[in-house]
Amino acid sequence: MAMRCKRCRGTAVMEVRRHNAAFCRDCFLHYVGQQVTRAIAKYRMAGHTDRVLVAVSGGKDSLALWDLLLELGYQADGLYLSLGIGAYSERSKAVCQEFAEARGATLLVHDLAGEHGYTIPEAAGKGGRSSCGVCGLSKRYVFNRAALDGGYDVVCTGHNLDDEAAVLFGNTLRWDTAAMARQFPVLEATRPGLVKKVKPLYRVAERETAAYCVLKGIDYVVEECPLVAGNTQMRHKETLNQMEEAAPGTKHSFLFGYLDRAAALLKVADDADLTECARCGMTTQAPEDPASEAVCAFCRSKARLVKTLPIVEVASR
Amino acid sequence: MLVTARLRPPDRVVEVADVRRVADLLARLEVLPGAVLVIRDGALLTSQDELRDGDKVEVRFAISGGG
Repeated sequence: MAMRCKRCRGTAVMEVRRHNAAFCRDCFLHYVGQQVTRAIAKYRMAGHTDRVLVAVSGGKDSLALWDLLLELGYQADGLYLSLGIGAYSERSKAVCQEFAEARGATLLVHDLAGEHGYTIPEAAGKGGRSSCGVCGLSKRYVFNRAALDGGYDVVCTGHNLDDEAAVLFGNTLRWDTAAMARQFPVLEATRPGLVKKVKPLYRVAERETAAYCVLKGIDYVVEECPLVAGNTQMRHKETLNQMEEAAPGTKHSFLFGYLDRAAALLKVADDADLTECARCGMTTQAPEDPASEAVCAFCRSKARLVKTLPIVEVASR
Repeated sequence: MLVTARLRPPDRVVEVADVRRVADLLARLEVLPGAVLVIRDGALLTSQDELRDGDKVEVRFAISGGG
């Protein structure tokens, strides 16, 4: 027998096992909107007069987020960063551009190679970071800088419940308390040079963002990034999904228990001293030795990478 | 009874015989229901929805490793 919608008793199209619920199309879209509204309100992520910049990749999470923010009446522009991953990046950019055009929304396009002299495939394995490591570092830097330059009040990213649970799981396995202390749905701009960063999808599972896109007819890049195969976060997600299958709600309890009961204890311990990067002027952690020059992780990584690339290529950019 | 399932990503097509419901199909494919969406003619299916002979469905993995 077909499942019934928990809210209206119509025919359900989507199960949400951790809430012991199933929804029809309209009630599911209502549910997702409600989760995002609740997240934004709880952590005062953004107001309707704020200029919001949504970091979009062309994937399900960021496009669902941009769509939701526009539907909820926020002044939300998109930011796409081209990572230079061949056809994958080209397709991702095209998907973001089509999304923006269809809604009359503004999309800013940045290019890592054009602006900083390297692509992610070039950077993979060089400079002491994995491709995912250097990609994450580059994105955080470019998003913050683009938001500052564009006068935006807040940067929204599409991190969902599964992403956050998997990162917390990894950090907990290593007891990386400094990283745990920074893992929160909102990171305030604590000093000039930093833009507020928020994760309005932290209450929504990634299967739900994918369903949202299918039900709203949002064309997203289904293919996985070719560089991501076997990365640590994927392995952690697989482990958590096995546990979730046996006990629905496990990921939710793990993440929300942390946010509600443990995060505040760790925040006290996060006493990172911040200063300006001597090379780019952006905010970075102050060096332990006050006599040494403060250089941010992005500038250090970029200097190492550019040294390893062919001179002809560097000079041509 | 035969159902054609397209699994992506990456992109793999398999034929599965004698599965009555979506839950049976996923069990046969050894895929966790919480990790995928099952789509038939553009519409989402729940695990209890019945399959028909000749159905073509997409089993779309909804787990991504970025972030």
